Amino acid sequence: MPVSMLPPSAPIAAAHIDHADSDEDMSDDDSLPVQGASSIVTPGETVTSDPQWMRGHGTYVPAETTTIISTVAGHLHKTNKLLSVQPLRARYTPEIGDLVVGRIVSVQTKKWTVDIAAPMLASLPLSAINLPGGILRRRTAVDELNIRTFFSEGDLLVAEVQSLHGDNTASLHTRSLKYGKLRNGLFTSLSGAGGGILSRRGGVVRSKRQTFTLQTGAGEIDVVLGVNGYIFVSAHKKSAQDEKDVSITSLEQVVSETLYSSQNDDIEPGVAREITRVSTLVKGLAACGRRVDEDIIVRVYEGAVELEAEEKVMGGSGRAAGAKGVVEAVLGRLEMGG
Amino acid sequence: MAPPQLQHVNLSPAELSFLRSTLCQDPPIRFDHTKGPKDFRSMRAEYDVLPGANGSARIALEDGTEALVGVKAEVEKSQWRPSGDAQLRDADADANDKDAKAKGQNSWMEMSVEIPGFRDDDALPVFLASMLTESLLASGGLKDRLYINSRFHWKLYIDVGGSFLVHISMLTVQILLLSPPLSYPLALLSMTTHLALLTSRLPALKSDKDEDPLFDDDWDAAVFLYPKSKANASEDKPPVIVLAMAVGPNIIFDPCMEELAVADAVLAIACANATASSSRARIVSVRTIDPPSHLTPPGVPNSMNSATGGTVPASSAEALTQRELFANSGVWTPPRGGMKRGLISQVVKMVVEEGGVAEEVISALHAIELG
Repeated sequence: MPVSMLPPSAPIAAAHIDHADSDEDMSDDDSLPVQGASSIVTPGETVTSDPQWMRGHGTYVPAETTTIISTVAGHLHKTNKLLSVQPLRARYTPEIGDLVVGRIVSVQTKKWTVDIAAPMLASLPLSAINLPGGILRRRTAVDELNIRTFFSEGDLLVAEVQSLHGDNTASLHTRSLKYGKLRNGLFTSLSGAGGGILSRRGGVVRSKRQTFTLQTGAGEIDVVLGVNGYIFVSAHKKSAQDEKDVSITSLEQVVSETLYSSQNDDIEPGVAREITRVSTLVKGLAACGRRVDEDIIVRVYEGAVELEAEEKVMGGSGRAAGAKGVVEAVLGRLEMGG
Repeated sequence: MAPPQLQHVNLSPAELSFLRSTLCQDPPIRFDHTKGPKDFRSMRAEYDVLPGANGSARIALEDGTEALVGVKAEVEKSQWRPSGDAQLRDADADANDKDAKAKGQNSWMEMSVEIPGFRDDDALPVFLASMLTESLLASGGLKDRLYINSRFHWKLYIDVGGSFLVHISMLTVQILLLSPPLSYPLALLSMTTHLALLTSRLPALKSDKDEDPLFDDDWDAAVFLYPKSKANASEDKPPVIVLAMAVGPNIIFDPCMEELAVADAVLAIACANATASSSRARIVSVRTIDPPSHLTPPGVPNSMNSATGGTVPASSAEALTQRELFANSGVWTPPRGGMKRGLISQVVKMVVEEGGVAEEVISALHAIELG
């Protein structure tokens, strides 16, 4: 059925949401006016004026009062005597060492400005990238003139947050072979999920490994989960170590040849299909309100492939279910299977 | 700050090249992997959402884009037209009724489109409003039904509230965030307008002929703007606009923003349902839309990129000839030119054929109305 139109769905029952991650209150005797799973607070709303509570994230106490006021729209959490509001949607707050995926917004004389889903654009100085021809090459005036040959507007890159300025703008660097321009794949953004430890439902969780390789039937594909909620799924990049006869000295040279290429390699249709599938599933995971990490992507991907194979055997067409529909079906099966 | 540009695509040449290569395959791999070339994005629809309007509808896409349409009818004094009135005075009652068939005027319907982030005189809302109006007027029928008598008529105001981004949290909370639409919103707005008009009602007229109009107070007695007949096949319904996009050898319906960014050509086809006179869906109007892909920057092939060991061509003419050689490799080249005739007829055929896209869309909207 090509066109699927449904009446609005009833909101998901509150029982489905697990509040296990929030430390529950130890003592039950002090009741808070705003409680319950379905309640949210809005910016400016008084949470409580009882002086026994302490203010946490997302709250504010005006001078000379004891009133705790919410500064964001979100759910109220209490940890013993600490009240904090977890926003429904939040931008990413950069932290030093985070692996982020970004998009070049503008090119300036000696730096690029990069969109990393943070409140302010990050900057990537020309001095913080690997220049082709080896790390030790000196930056020259010619490089400054040719700044657009490295990155130009719209280009995607994976980088690390090197430092934070006073106004919380991030400075990035790509001085590693792991980082640099992205190509051969699809970009997905899970915006508004915050990212990092504060990640909302449906965001990327800061974990040990932000990049991993997924084994698929058609071949290997790389997934880069930016902590900022930007995700890039691409065909597996053959690392220089794979090619045996490359000596360690010329390794730099081999990499640098394609470091700033904006040309895609030949991608087999099967691999391209799997890349699109993973990217769709990631969007579905976010729509289902799940946290996105390596483990769940691998499990949902395998489940989705299995599901499609079964449907093919049954003769039914599982098409037009949408990203969310497929992920819901797979998650349902995973939960049933244990 | 400059107003946000919907047409502006901010994708890298490598992404565009990848998207195009997947969409050009047979069968095409769409941006949403679960969808086929003829599949529409799944949507949620409801009608009668605004209590003060004669008819209203709301359709929301899964990505959060949402359209709200309200139809409001007001009684307005008709302008006195010498020729028409002379005929009326001469004619007897029967002829008078017949005459009413072609009494409608285009100015009796007013459409306004509002999209967050755009001024109401920006090109996009104006163009969308004129396309929607054009298709509604072209299908006939509607404006004639606004005729009350020789002195009065209904004036129809259709307000197409733009596309919001709605974030629905897991709990029963809705936060409205106004944001520009995430794809070309014509098809969405048209479907919502269709549903709103389909469910619009006008108060029943109690007065006779040329008297000052007097209406029934009872809203339950109100008549539908598009009358419902028992034989459901042949009733007249408002037209609906379908967006189709050509990329390489494939034709894709209801493209999302990323897909539009690599389109060769985009067609907006307004079609009405089958009536007694025609057994298949009818084309009301067809327009080409300039795809944003024409404005994308071309990719730089490795051999012309000094950062990848290539040599930068000395002149722009040399660069052009070199680019031609890379037309079908992994280098993004923005599509040039328009649509071939054969392609247009192929798209039109896919829309109007029996069980085609037009029929699917209209019946899906009808199913919503039946509940």
